[in-house]
Amino acid sequence: MKQHDHDQHSAFQPNRRTVLRGAASAAALGTSGALGTFSELALAQANLRAQIAQIPGVGKGAPTDADWQKVGELCLGPTKASIKEGEFKGVELSFMGLNNQNLHNLLFRGFLKPWEAYTGAKISWIDLAQADYNPRLQQAIATGTVDFDILEMGAPFEGDVCGKGLASEMPDWVKKQIDIDDYVEYLKPPVGTWNGKTYRVTIDGDCHNFNYRTDVFSDAALAKAWKDAGNTGEWGVPKTWQQVQAVTKFLKGKKIKNQNAFGYLDAPKPWGGFGFYFLGSRASAYAKHPDDKAWLFDIDTMKPRINNPAWVRAIQDVIDALPFEPADQLNADPNTTGFQQFLAGIGSMIPWWGDIGQVAKASDTSVIGDIVGFDILPGSDDVYNSKTGQWDKLASGPNHAPNCAYLGWGVYVMARVNGDEKKHKAAWSAAAHLGGKDLSLWMVMYPSGFQAHRTSHFQFDEWVAAGYDRKYITSYLNSQLGSYNHPNRAVEPRIPGIFQYYSIAEDELTKIFAGKVDAQTGANNIAAAWETLTDQIGRERQIGLYKASLGV
Amino acid sequence: MQNSAPVTDDLHQQLAVARAPARRKAAGRALVALASLGFLLVLLVQILHTTSATASGFSDWRPILIAYLIWALAFAIAQVLIRGERGQRALFLLPAVFFTIAVVIFPTIFGIYIASLDWNLSSVEGPRFSGFGNLVGMLNDTYYWNALGNMIFYAVAVLGEYAIAFGLALLLSAEIRARKFFRVVFLLPMMLSPVAVSWMIGKSLLEYRFGPAAALARYLGWENPAFFASPWMARLSIQAMDAWVSIPFIMIILLAGLQAMPREVQEAAKVDGANAWQSFWHVTFPIMLPVSITVLIIRIIFKLKLADIVINVTAGGPGGATDTVSSFIYRVYRDRSNVGYGTALAMVYLVLIIVLLTLLLRLSKRWTQRVV
Repeated sequence: MKQHDHDQHSAFQPNRRTVLRGAASAAALGTSGALGTFSELALAQANLRAQIAQIPGVGKGAPTDADWQKVGELCLGPTKASIKEGEFKGVELSFMGLNNQNLHNLLFRGFLKPWEAYTGAKISWIDLAQADYNPRLQQAIATGTVDFDILEMGAPFEGDVCGKGLASEMPDWVKKQIDIDDYVEYLKPPVGTWNGKTYRVTIDGDCHNFNYRTDVFSDAALAKAWKDAGNTGEWGVPKTWQQVQAVTKFLKGKKIKNQNAFGYLDAPKPWGGFGFYFLGSRASAYAKHPDDKAWLFDIDTMKPRINNPAWVRAIQDVIDALPFEPADQLNADPNTTGFQQFLAGIGSMIPWWGDIGQVAKASDTSVIGDIVGFDILPGSDDVYNSKTGQWDKLASGPNHAPNCAYLGWGVYVMARVNGDEKKHKAAWSAAAHLGGKDLSLWMVMYPSGFQAHRTSHFQFDEWVAAGYDRKYITSYLNSQLGSYNHPNRAVEPRIPGIFQYYSIAEDELTKIFAGKVDAQTGANNIAAAWETLTDQIGRERQIGLYKASLGV
Repeated sequence: MQNSAPVTDDLHQQLAVARAPARRKAAGRALVALASLGFLLVLLVQILHTTSATASGFSDWRPILIAYLIWALAFAIAQVLIRGERGQRALFLLPAVFFTIAVVIFPTIFGIYIASLDWNLSSVEGPRFSGFGNLVGMLNDTYYWNALGNMIFYAVAVLGEYAIAFGLALLLSAEIRARKFFRVVFLLPMMLSPVAVSWMIGKSLLEYRFGPAAALARYLGWENPAFFASPWMARLSIQAMDAWVSIPFIMIILLAGLQAMPREVQEAAKVDGANAWQSFWHVTFPIMLPVSITVLIIRIIFKLKLADIVINVTAGGPGGATDTVSSFIYRVYRDRSNVGYGTALAMVYLVLIIVLLTLLLRLSKRWTQRVV
């Protein structure tokens, strides 16, 4: 059923032929004169998108600050349409965001430089490492010391920020400028909104997709060895976690291109709470039942499910797989598995956000190039039903539940600018520039820390024109779209303190993976600590917000 | 002559005080009373405002700081008015006293207050008074006790660092070639930031895949040179890195002690027929004991604060094997925003360190007295 849905969905994707047909029709309409202005505008936009997609061109080295500025300059059109030159002279704004892998804020600086030059506003920057971001934001919220006007933030914090009235409501002109209706369905309200008000300029769409090495899974010698080892199925990309485990165990001791081959790479080392997502990706197919929206807590009580058989099975999978992974895997966090291992040619399967696909193809830091394929996360032959306490085998086949981890980054304007009309407009103009439709295309094409999040990002021809291989990019984008639109997607709960839950779990998980406690005991410890935390934060409120985040 | 000076000084002071007119004294006392009243009033207003008992108050606590500075100034002026010349002398000391009150004593008292709160930054209700709740939680916190256990290992390892540093100090105090060059070279690790060391050594040199140390270990026959994958290996690797940074510090202090040691004693030992070991064990080491104990205590204080290398390289893992109290508290604060509990852990740790060091100082006093 799920695979069928997936395949059916893929069939609806625009391919080169349909896009060209559409373009030809539009052109014909334009030449008829009836829609002359419209067609000119559309053509100009198409030209602009094609132009920025060539900066610097995929496979032509990592983009530089000069490239970011150039893209920012070219995408100033919507700003120029609504703001007069020098209109914000004298306005000073403070922007808080990340500096992960020298991306995020570093790109924003480049994009906003032409905006500053045009509008006359000045921006000062607060750059934070990923691990420092959460505490800095929490402290600012709790102590009422918000010292920034614009904030790069993930949707999980919307409960903390928007729920406390710290964010500024998005004006209608911004919605129009950024074409908010272009966002993919799963990033539309309630994401980005609070009590019916819109706060977020979405610049990212997050899900963990399954990244695998195409050369490993098409290697004839490995295929033969696989058969020789008595395996019944064909050698190929695993579609279920059971197959992932089998392949990981099989690859230990094998060689690929004269190097040690490894299968799946786990990330057992804590990563400021973000590492928990990687266990979540292993667990979602076991724990997220199609008939149940919840998978992390019971909806009505916030009783943790982390110690139910599904999660414990996922934890046990990690324990079982670790001996077959590189010897120092216990000291690997997701940054290591993604950027120091997988992109460096070690390991053949990891779950990660869309960064892997961007960096593999469009950054000098990758050595594996385009021998990467993508899919939605593997499924499971059976899925745990929390309501009945039984493992169900679905008639439709393996259960898939893509982990929509983090719900992506957004740009938010803080309420503190509300009292100053000029500053308010300037802050929203800057946010709208960063979240502009065309600029966003460039951001999701090149290493930026952000992945596709608009319907318009899935026009494959634009990616191919930029230099991506069609097969590669089709696989990449379909894996994301397949996750976003999956009917059984596992969605991030937007509840306050969610990273505290994750951080506590990470600590206990390291004990489990180091063999100090067994999977069930460790999971019980996490559950007990989560219960305490829920009481400390406020159970009733958490239940309400959890329900809202699941749309219940 | 030496004994008579303070008496004269005292007499002079008494006369000076007596000369101060009673009116000035009264004005001084009134100034202190007025300033104290004003300060307390402003403080009370702000406390009532913060606790929502009254609507009026300041938007932040900055006015309290200004009130404190005004009070401090008034107090200083009052000292001159009341005590005359002695008051003027007190002016040299008062800034330091006020500064210490502001940045040490007040934060400590405030810290104790925070430690009594159940305060998670994400909590809807904000901070709630929990009395000894955090301490009870600490008693049941296996992570804290695990970290404390690790601290014992790290603290004991200081003895190893001391032994190596002593060896190096002896070497550098001997008449060897390029002695000055080696002194500078051996000091270099101390000049590096532990964070830089974490990356250069922990995450580069010792890196399993491409690290030169790992490559060398493979060459020497260690098939899987994973320096941070097993508990004891990780603990030893962290200790080795911290030792590399810190040994030069111990070494330089010991070297200074060796340089200050009278040569006659060593020569007398030689004349008496002592060999190198006997000369070291019965002469050099006992004479160096006061310096050694001082440097050991300083080093243990530093060691008890170990966090940076652990946070950067292992994040406390695997399975808490390398965790330190400071790195655990850091996680409680940073990743879990658990301000009340984190402060309570830090306060308890502070008390433990004070008790431990007091004991060490007393013991060291005994040892050094015996030696002397």
